[in-house]
Amino acid sequence: MEYLLNQLVNGICQGSIYALMAIGYSVIVGVVGMVTFTYGEIMMIGAFGAFYSFQFFGNNLALAIVMAFASSFLLGIVVYKVCYERFFNAPRHIALLCTIGFSMLMKNLVQIVFGPEQKPMINIINNATYTLRLGSVAVDFKLLQIVVMLLVILFAVSLTLFFNRTRWGVALRAVSQNKQAAYMMGINVKRTAMLGNCIGCGFGGIAGILLSIYYYTVSSTIWGNFSMKAFSASVLGGLVDLRLSALGGLCMGIIENLGITISSATFRDVFSFAFLIVILVIRPQGFAAKKGSRV
Amino acid sequence: MAEQTLTRVPLLEAQGICKYFGGLKAVDHVDMTICQGDIFGIIGPNGAGKTTFFNICTGIFTPTQGRIFFCGEDITAMSPEAVAQKRIARTFQNLQLFKFMTVLENVKIGCHIKTKSNMFDAILHTPTFKRDEAFTTEKSLEILKRIGLFDFRDTLAGNLSYGMQRKVEIARALALDPKILLLDEPAAGMNPLETKALMEFIQALNADGYTIAVIEHDMKFVMNSCNRILVLNFGQKILEGTPAEVKTNPEVQSAYFGKGMVAGEAIR
Amino acid sequence: MSKVQAFYHKHRTILLLAVFAALCVLPFVVTKALFVRYACNILLFATLAGSLNAINGYSGQMCLGQAGFFAIGAYVCAIFSTRFGVNFWLLLPISGVFAAMVGLLVALPTLKLQGIYLSIVTLGASEIIRIIAQTWEPVTGGALGIKNIPYPWLFGLDTFRPKYYYFIFLLIGVLFLLVTNRVLKSRVGRAWISIREDQIAAKSLGVQTSFYKSLNFMYGAFWAGVVGCAYAPFVNYIEASQFSTDTGFNVLAMIVIGGQGTLLGPILGSMIVTVLTESLRFLDNWRYVIYAVIIIMMMWLRPQGIAGASHSVLAGGKIKRKPVRREGARSHG
Repeated sequence: MEYLLNQLVNGICQGSIYALMAIGYSVIVGVVGMVTFTYGEIMMIGAFGAFYSFQFFGNNLALAIVMAFASSFLLGIVVYKVCYERFFNAPRHIALLCTIGFSMLMKNLVQIVFGPEQKPMINIINNATYTLRLGSVAVDFKLLQIVVMLLVILFAVSLTLFFNRTRWGVALRAVSQNKQAAYMMGINVKRTAMLGNCIGCGFGGIAGILLSIYYYTVSSTIWGNFSMKAFSASVLGGLVDLRLSALGGLCMGIIENLGITISSATFRDVFSFAFLIVILVIRPQGFAAKKGSRV
Repeated sequence: MAEQTLTRVPLLEAQGICKYFGGLKAVDHVDMTICQGDIFGIIGPNGAGKTTFFNICTGIFTPTQGRIFFCGEDITAMSPEAVAQKRIARTFQNLQLFKFMTVLENVKIGCHIKTKSNMFDAILHTPTFKRDEAFTTEKSLEILKRIGLFDFRDTLAGNLSYGMQRKVEIARALALDPKILLLDEPAAGMNPLETKALMEFIQALNADGYTIAVIEHDMKFVMNSCNRILVLNFGQKILEGTPAEVKTNPEVQSAYFGKGMVAGEAIR
Repeated sequence: MSKVQAFYHKHRTILLLAVFAALCVLPFVVTKALFVRYACNILLFATLAGSLNAINGYSGQMCLGQAGFFAIGAYVCAIFSTRFGVNFWLLLPISGVFAAMVGLLVALPTLKLQGIYLSIVTLGASEIIRIIAQTWEPVTGGALGIKNIPYPWLFGLDTFRPKYYYFIFLLIGVLFLLVTNRVLKSRVGRAWISIREDQIAAKSLGVQTSFYKSLNFMYGAFWAGVVGCAYAPFVNYIEASQFSTDTGFNVLAMIVIGGQGTLLGPILGSMIVTVLTESLRFLDNWRYVIYAVIIIMMMWLRPQGIAGASHSVLAGGKIKRKPVRREGARSHG
C-alpha cells in the first residue's frame, strides 16, 4: 500500500512532465495542423541547452529554463521552415515523413556534436525528502518532485493566460480553429503557425530539461520514445485541446508508474502504448467530447 | 413523360427522416416514395438538405429519426457498403472519383460486388478469377461504350474534363447494375450542350428500366424529365408531386424562387 | 521517358528474364564476399520494403511499424528452428502466418481510425513487440537474443556462405513480386487502390473497406514475416535491438525514396539506401545525416519517389492536366 502510494506520487510527478510535453505537442498540432515526429529531438535540444547553461553560467535553474526554451524555440523555426511551410496543401504524410527525416538528422547531428554518451545532469535541487504521514502509511515527496510539479503548473497557467489574454494568443487560437477564416480576418497565418510551432517546441524544451533533471542525465538517444508519449498523451486529449492533453499526460504518467509496480521497469513503455491503443479502441476521440477530425 | 398511375411499385421509401447536427435540423421529417421506373427529382435551394438526404438514403449518415425502406427491406442502419450491395448506386456532388486510376479501372471497381474472386484466386489464376476478370472487363467496356467514354478508357480519370468526370462517375455507378441510381447534381459544371446530352442519356437509361433519383438545379432538366418531384426547403418537405403540381404550388414558388417573382417565368 | 516505357512494354518478358538471369549469375561474378552480402541485404530489404509498400502504397494506410512484423517472423523462425528443429522451408509460411495474425490484431482496433492514429498505433505495436522480445527471457532469450540459428537446406549448398544464401532471398523476392503483381491486378488489388484513392466512393460502390483494409494489413505483415524468417538464419543471431523503430523508419525511407505505390520503387529504394549506408560507412554518423537530408530533399523535390509517377494520391495529389479548369485534386487523408 505504501509502495503503491509512493509510486502514485512518482506517477503524478512524471505525469505532470508528460502533461507539459503534451501541452506543447497539442499547441503544435493545433496551430500547424500537422503532427510531428521531431518532438523528441526538440526536447533533447532543450535539455542540452540547459545542460550547457549549467556548465557555462553556473547553477541557475531559471536561466537554464530560459535557455532550454530559447534553444527549442529557435529549432522550432527551422522545423517549421523545413517540414511544414511548403506542405500545407500537400497530403499529410509528406510533412510527417519530413519530420521523421528531420528527427533522424537532429539525432545524428547531436551525436556528432555533443557525443553519443550519456552526460550526468547537474543535481540542481538538493535531495531533501519530505514524508507525509497518513495514519500508518508514509508517503515520500522529494523536493525535486515538488519543484517539478510547481514548475509545470506555472508554465501551464502562463500558457493558458497567454492564449486567452494576449493578441497573439487569440490569433493562435483562431488559426488553430480555422485557417481560412483566420486568413480572411487579416491574420498572417503562416507567421502565426510558425509562432505556434515555436511555442509548442519551446514547451517541449522545458519538458526536456525537467525530464533530464528528473533522471539526472542528458543523452542523445532516448528521446524518440518521449516523442511518442507526447503524441499519445495529446491523442488522449483529442490532439488539440490543451487541458485534456495535460490530463492525458498525467494519466499516462500514473498508469506507467502503477504498471511497473506490478511488473518490471522494462515494461514501462508497454504500459503507455497499450493504454493508448486501448483508449483509441474504446474512444478514438480520447477524452474530448467530440470527434476532432481536423488532424 | 406520361404519368404512370397504374402500377406503381414503391422501390425506395423514406419515412419521417430526421437528421440533426447538434441544433441544426439538416433534414426534418421528410417522407418520400420513389417507385419503380421513376425519374424522381429532388429540388430545393442551397442548404435545403438534399445531399444530406441522399447520404442518409445510401447509409453514409444514420438518420436521427425515421426509417428507410428499399424493396420493403429496412436499410436504415446499414453501412454504405451494405447499401451498395442492395444495388443502390450513387454519384457525388463534389466528384469523388478515383482520380489517379484509369477510367476503365474506375468502372471495374463498380463491378466489385458482382464478382467474388478472392486473393488466392488471383494468385493462382483459378477459373473463377479468369471468369471474373473477363466479365469485369467486358461489362466495363460495354458501359463505357454506352456512355461514350470508350476512347478515354486508358486515360487517368482526373485528366478528363469536369463534365466527363461526371460521366465516369455515372458509368461507375451503372456498373453496379443498380436497381436505383441516385445522381447528385449530375449536370453541375457541364455546359448547356453536355447538359442536354446528359438529360437525353438519363431518359434513355430510364427507358431501359433504370429507376433514377436526381438532385438537380437545372429547372428545365427537372421539369422536363422527372415524373415526380420532391421539394425541400430548410430540411423540410414542401411538396412531393408531379412537375405540374410543383409548378403551380404557391408555397414552392415562394420558398424556392422567392416571393414576388412572376411564377412560371423561371420555370419555363 | 515514354520511349523507355514503350520499349519496356514491348519487350517486357525478355527484359525481366534477362534481369532475373543477371541476378542469378551475380554471386558467381562478384567474388568478394562482402559485396555478395550487400546484395543479400539489398534483396532482403527490397522485399521488406515491398511488403510495407503493399500497405502504404496501395491501400493508403500509413503503417510505421513494419519492424514489428519483421521481428515476429525472425523470432518465430529462430525459436522454432532452435527449439524444435522445424525445417526452414516450412517455417517460411508459418512465420508469415504468425505475422499476419499479429497484423490482424493491430489492424482490427485501427480500422475506425484514420491516418495518423493508425500510424501511431502501428508504431506503438512495433515498440511493444520489441520490448516483449527484449524482456520475455524464457522464450526470446531476452537481451541476449537467440544464437546459432541453423542454416537452411538448399540443395546441399553451403548456405552459411552469402553466395548461396543469396538465392534464398532472390527466391523470396521474385515470389513476392509475382504474387503481389497478380494480387494488385485483381479485384482485391483494385479494391485496395480504390480505398487509397477515395474511401467514401469505394464504400458507395460496395467495397467492404474494413475487410479489405485488414486484408491488406495482413498481406503486408505476412510478407514482412516471411522476410523476417529468412533474415534470422542469415545473420545467425537475432536480438531485440535489431528491430527498433529505426529499422522501421529505415524501411519507410526506402519506399519513400524509391516511390510508393509502384513495384519498382521499394527495390530502387533498397538499393539506394543500402549502397549509401554501406559505402559511406567510413563517415560514421555523418552517413545518417546525409541519409536524413536525402529523405527531406526527396519530400521537397519529388514526394512521389524516384520510380513513382504522379499516378497516385501519394504523389502530392497534383495531376498535370492540359485544360485550365483545376479542381482540388486532393485526397481526404
